[in-house]
Amino acid sequence: MTEATKYQNRIDLLQGTLDMLVLQALLREPMHGYAIAQVIRSRSGEVFTVETGSLYPALHRLERQKWVKSEWKLTESKQRAKFYQITALGKKQLTADHRRWLELVRAIGAVMEPEVQP
Amino acid sequence: MHWPWEQAKESLSEELEAHLQMSIAERVADGEDPAQARAAALRELGNVPLIEDVTRERWGWIWLENILHDTRYALRQLRRAPAFTATALLTLAFGIGANLGVFRLLYAVILAELPIPHPEEVVRIHAARTPFDQSWTISYPAYQRLRAATPDVPLMATAYIVEDAKLELPNRASINASCTPVSDNYFSVLGVTPAAGRLFIQADASQAQGEWPAVLRYDFARNTFGSAGQAVGQHMLLNGRSFVVIGVAHRRFLGDITGHAPDIWLPLELQSTGAFSFSWDSLGPGHDVSLDKPWYNQPTIFWLALTARVPPERRAAVLAHWDQVFRNDREVMTEATADPAVKTALLHVKTGVAPLSENGMRKRFTVPLTILMALSASIFLVGCLNLANLQLARLHAREHELSVRMALGASRGRLIRQVVLEDALLLAGGSLCAFVLGRAASGILVRWVSNRNALFTLDLHPNLPLAALGAGLMLLSLLCFSILPAVIAIRTGVGQTAGSRAKVAGISQTARQRLRSNVLLGTQVSLSLLLSTMSACFAATLVHWETVDVGMDREHVLIVRPELHQPRYTDHSEMLPELYSLIQDRLQALPGVRSAAVEMCGGIHCGWITALYVHGRNNLTDAQVHGQEDHVGIGFFHTLGIPILRGRDFSSSDTDKAQRVAIINRAYARQLFGDADPIGQLVGYEPALNDHKFLIVGEVADAHVNGAEREAPPVVYMSINQSPAPVNSIRVRAVGDPRQLSDSVRHALYEVDPALPVSEIVPLATELDGDLGTEKLLARLAGVYASLTLLLVAIGFYGVMSSRTTRRKSEFGIRLALGATRGHIQRLIIGQTARILLAGILPGAILSILAVRAASHFLYGSVSANSLAIIAASVVLAIAGSIATIIPARRAAFADPLETLRSE
Repeated sequence: MTEATKYQNRIDLLQGTLDMLVLQALLREPMHGYAIAQVIRSRSGEVFTVETGSLYPALHRLERQKWVKSEWKLTESKQRAKFYQITALGKKQLTADHRRWLELVRAIGAVMEPEVQP
Repeated sequence: MHWPWEQAKESLSEELEAHLQMSIAERVADGEDPAQARAAALRELGNVPLIEDVTRERWGWIWLENILHDTRYALRQLRRAPAFTATALLTLAFGIGANLGVFRLLYAVILAELPIPHPEEVVRIHAARTPFDQSWTISYPAYQRLRAATPDVPLMATAYIVEDAKLELPNRASINASCTPVSDNYFSVLGVTPAAGRLFIQADASQAQGEWPAVLRYDFARNTFGSAGQAVGQHMLLNGRSFVVIGVAHRRFLGDITGHAPDIWLPLELQSTGAFSFSWDSLGPGHDVSLDKPWYNQPTIFWLALTARVPPERRAAVLAHWDQVFRNDREVMTEATADPAVKTALLHVKTGVAPLSENGMRKRFTVPLTILMALSASIFLVGCLNLANLQLARLHAREHELSVRMALGASRGRLIRQVVLEDALLLAGGSLCAFVLGRAASGILVRWVSNRNALFTLDLHPNLPLAALGAGLMLLSLLCFSILPAVIAIRTGVGQTAGSRAKVAGISQTARQRLRSNVLLGTQVSLSLLLSTMSACFAATLVHWETVDVGMDREHVLIVRPELHQPRYTDHSEMLPELYSLIQDRLQALPGVRSAAVEMCGGIHCGWITALYVHGRNNLTDAQVHGQEDHVGIGFFHTLGIPILRGRDFSSSDTDKAQRVAIINRAYARQLFGDADPIGQLVGYEPALNDHKFLIVGEVADAHVNGAEREAPPVVYMSINQSPAPVNSIRVRAVGDPRQLSDSVRHALYEVDPALPVSEIVPLATELDGDLGTEKLLARLAGVYASLTLLLVAIGFYGVMSSRTTRRKSEFGIRLALGATRGHIQRLIIGQTARILLAGILPGAILSILAVRAASHFLYGSVSANSLAIIAASVVLAIAGSIATIIPARRAAFADPLETLRSE
């Protein structure tokens, strides 16, 4: 296995989760990449630092799957930036991802803290 | 111009740049120093090109970009090695082009079916062979009877092609056109559709109006009138009769006989005009035949070949029915022979069928074209091997670069892809050249293969098998010279030498690699020895036929063709002997002329088949009495250089009032009389009672009047003065080069008779050589191939040896430093070449012997002559290989050892 494929796998592990976080961030309004990173970081209480090296590949992948669409616009500070907007397909995907995530959390919780279970 | 991904790439860069700017702006807003903010933002952003790369991979069309990238890289690589690129392009162009060119011809002549619906249903009908020409033709009344007997079976008749009808168009110079007279149902039987106008219908046969209908061949119509549409309705004169073009046949339809496409189709019925001279056969002299009268009611003039469309399942019944109808005609035909065995045989012949494809062309060219195809395949193989070897050497030289790239993370697949892509580009370029070359080649081949007078017309349109062959050859060559070498090189070479610079003493080239390239070179040597030998043999054969003793003075005789078939002469044939005598006297008075004489025959293959019965002998078979006949003037034998063996030549006392005389050649004399003296014997055209018309007064030597490569036929010569008729040629024997006499001969004839047109003046040698189509084709093409492979082998040796000596530079440096002389080094390298040559020549010689044996039918010459060709070819090959090796050998030997070692 070459270096390139190893690197690819690392991203793949993150991907599902990162996709969900990005879609969730976009749910309220269209945003550019930098803002998405900021929103995720602040909402997570500065826990998640989304690396650019993961963010942009994820955004472009989401766009290719038609879960988001993009548009060049000016920011409030007159900076030209590419704004991403969630699509109907993306919203559906987000719901599915979210449900799966909740199941995952519940399952992991059940394994890690069995005494809580009735 | 911007590729879409260039735009996307820029957009991505801009996006990341915007990210950076916003990050900096926020940091500055938070109170950081701008320079520090920038550094921190950049640190946070990370490796931008890597991010771009990974992001781009999400787009999903990175592969396309990669291919374009690789293409650009490949083009750069090819530009950097112009010698290799040129060799590869030329090899592919010739290797594939030659195969396509020959195959196109092979397909058109041998494999193609007529472009008509259900060609397999259409067959020639063989009712009976004619008594003299042995052709499958019948009379017009017989054709009508057969056609009427089976109204539901389409049966058509064609007369022989008339090669040189004179076509006159208003305001244009007259041209020669070839015409085929056909029955009214010709096109409907074949199922040919018109490209313009209409084709023949039944009414065309019975039209007795002033203008005859004519149908033109598509290309002829286009060349003559501009387009098929414009041709329709045009009026023209053919041999002085007026015609109107009623239509043009379908583009692809070139007639029903491969190679011999007529320009114009005419109705059979115009025979009655007498304006065209058709080929015919009959029962022989003494039977009731009036050639000057219309032939349609004469049952003893055989001139029509039959073709029918009968489904295979109905054939037996239809043929049996025709046999009954034809029975009477068969009995008539038996009158031509006195041989009871032949008579019985004739009566027992059953009407049969033969496929259209069974024609002279196919018979004549199947083997030569197959040989050429095999030779073409070998040259393709030599080319591929050569390229494979050069490619291996080239990859070897690039080994270091490739291993570094692999170490840097390039995938093996990508490297192979790049190398293969380079070759695919070469192949695309080469194939393009090949298609152009192949097209041109088939045109040239057709010209080579055609006789001097009659150019074959073949359908050389591209077709599916041709395209398949082209694609197959392209793939095969790609596999041979590209994919396999790349896989081999990258599998074995790169991994092992990666990072290693220890290249002393040829370590970098393993024994296996050397063996591989030696085997490739050796195989090339074998194949090119084969090609060179064949080429030498074919060339020797051609030279043989061009110089062999034909029993005539081929180098000094001129054939002059006057146009005597005009009413001025034909209506007063009794005056002709005087004219001939005037012509002869005038020509013989010219300086440089040894003698001159007239002859009925216009050239070679001309004497007509006849029969001679000997007075007082009734037991002669048909095989004995049949021979060829020609009518000649006084001095003919001297003019042609045919020795008179016994008796005398014709003389001025042999007039139409004197005893009819004949002179026969040795072959005929042997046939009729064995070794007995033929002089004084009486012979006639018919058996007893009419078998003493001619007195044999002389016997002459045999001459190859049917062409150098054919047997000398039995010939009887009669005196033209005893049966005066227009002659077709005047032969002039020159002291020196006959060509130089053309003008003075033309001038002298004009002085004798200003109204006598001369259509052509050709040397006998040209006429004889013009007949050697097959031999010329083989010799010339094999010659081209042989020189090509020699070149390829030389390039192969040069390329491989150069790359080897470069690799062993440091070894040679050490050897020289240790005291080896330059001679040693050169001998070392040339020794390698010598071993390869030897290893290649031995199997090549065996291959050549087998090939020569297989093609022996087309080769003239003994086993020893052919072995000489093999030895000569080996020597030439060895010289070519050695010269190609000496250059790199000298370069290696004369390099400065210090310089070499320092560079390590």
